[in-house]
Amino acid sequence: MKAIKRHAGLVFLFPSLAGMIVFYLWPFLRSVGYAFTDKTINGEFSGLSNFISLVSGKSYQIGVINTLIFIGLSLPGGLALSLILSLCVNSFKKAGKLAMLLLLIPLALPSGSTVFFWKSVFSAKGALNAMLVHFGQAPVDWLDTSASRVVIIAIYLWKSLGYSIVLFSSALRSIPKEYSEASSIDGAGAISRLFLITLPCLAPTIILATIMGLINSFKIFKEIYVLTGSYPNESIYMTQHFLNNMFTALNYQKLSAATMLLALAVSLVSQGLFWLERRVSP
Amino acid sequence: MKKVIPAILLALASALALFPLLVTFAGSFMTETEIMLRYSAATTVFDLASGTTRFAQMSLMPNRATLSQYLSVLFLQPSFLILLGNSAKIALPAVAGNVVVSTLAAYGFHAWKSKASDAVFAVYVVVMLMPLQAVIVPNYIIADTLGIKDSYLAIILPGIFSPFGAFLIKQAMKSLDPACFEAASADGAGHFTLFLRIFCPQMKSAMAALAMLSFIEHWNIVEQAVVFIKDYYREPLSVYLSRIASGSAGIAFAASCVYMAFPLTLLAMGQDSLEMGIELSGIK
Repeated sequence: MKAIKRHAGLVFLFPSLAGMIVFYLWPFLRSVGYAFTDKTINGEFSGLSNFISLVSGKSYQIGVINTLIFIGLSLPGGLALSLILSLCVNSFKKAGKLAMLLLLIPLALPSGSTVFFWKSVFSAKGALNAMLVHFGQAPVDWLDTSASRVVIIAIYLWKSLGYSIVLFSSALRSIPKEYSEASSIDGAGAISRLFLITLPCLAPTIILATIMGLINSFKIFKEIYVLTGSYPNESIYMTQHFLNNMFTALNYQKLSAATMLLALAVSLVSQGLFWLERRVSP
Repeated sequence: MKKVIPAILLALASALALFPLLVTFAGSFMTETEIMLRYSAATTVFDLASGTTRFAQMSLMPNRATLSQYLSVLFLQPSFLILLGNSAKIALPAVAGNVVVSTLAAYGFHAWKSKASDAVFAVYVVVMLMPLQAVIVPNYIIADTLGIKDSYLAIILPGIFSPFGAFLIKQAMKSLDPACFEAASADGAGHFTLFLRIFCPQMKSAMAALAMLSFIEHWNIVEQAVVFIKDYYREPLSVYLSRIASGSAGIAFAASCVYMAFPLTLLAMGQDSLEMGIELSGIK
């Protein structure tokens, strides 16, 4: 009787758990199976051959390298900017609330409704080039040269700064006021307070914001896709483009292998970050 | 004096965040001719003759304000409303289902006192962190197996069971007072009473936060639509709008404005919900 009572919660969890198994876990295991066989139907075990042909393919390599470059540049840049802006937001009360609302707007805008705007800014004859020419500079083909990296980083920052600002700003509010008051009395200046009190207190949040930033950096693919389609300039051809195009080519073996590697990479990085977060948490 | 620099930075960042919205909003009141003149990339005979390149001219003020774009989007072109309907047909069931299933699951995690409970929750967190591209192949496999590949269900069902919702509401439970449960239990309340009378009322704001985040996500379906939806007239608006630019640029701004009005209204009504949702997703 006691055992039944202890497990009664399972009844509530059941719909979610069943859906989770049917729609996520079971098909994921199926795709792992595909990754190690040579054909989808009646396939035979083929060892690592799918993985080898995947990672030796040029378009996959380009996709992975571009994804790493994009994350490597946009994630730290975004964290630094949102940390600065969250300090600004928290130094005002009512105005801070309003600024927060405005900074959250990009997050709520569906990518389809801004694609026309971005095109008119960044296309060869767009508003940005109009400005460059006006100031006597040569126009740049923003969407079809390596300059497109700058474009997607700018769109990422525009879209996801609000998210991390909210995270930082609530963490800042939870730092006890006594800390900074005590240190001011001891004669610490604003800069040393920032580095000796605020940043160490924020360390766990910085790591969590890194994890969320990583997730958000994959979400920006929507924006890139609606703006530049299936085959953009080579410098912004991402892992996601590769996966999407594999669907069109109906190559499930390679697709499954690529999915597995992506899942593995994301799990390893995020678990590593969680471990780090536990280490730095007080 | 100390606040001058933060004020300037905030004003600048807010203006940049708002700028695309303002340009789109202003553009939606322009006549189609004005849009063509300002934004069309086509080179005209006159440009060739004068040897200059014409660039897009953005403006926050239409030369002559008109509602003609809205008229044609909302009344004259039935295709737009059909596509808007498609977006709603995907987003609404996914959001509603996700909130219900996730709230039940969060209570389940709370009530299921077992070591396995923590292990299952850890699996939820791992799946939650997966980028969309890593789950879209499993989504496709199960849709194929169930024979729903060509139906919106292929997008809606994984949305309903998305583990993020259960995670979010379980996070919000940390602020719950366990004494409430103990008192009600002592009075003989069963799990269903506890869930409906104690848990749900206290979790209202967390449910609103989840609904908001989930709506923003599902209103903006792109990748799944590319994989699952083959017919143009069944696409959600987000995908369609990315193609509109070439043919009928004249109504793109009004179409975008109508499309973004829904999540923006939610944001205006529930800024706190969205902030709460983000804060909860970042608590470990």
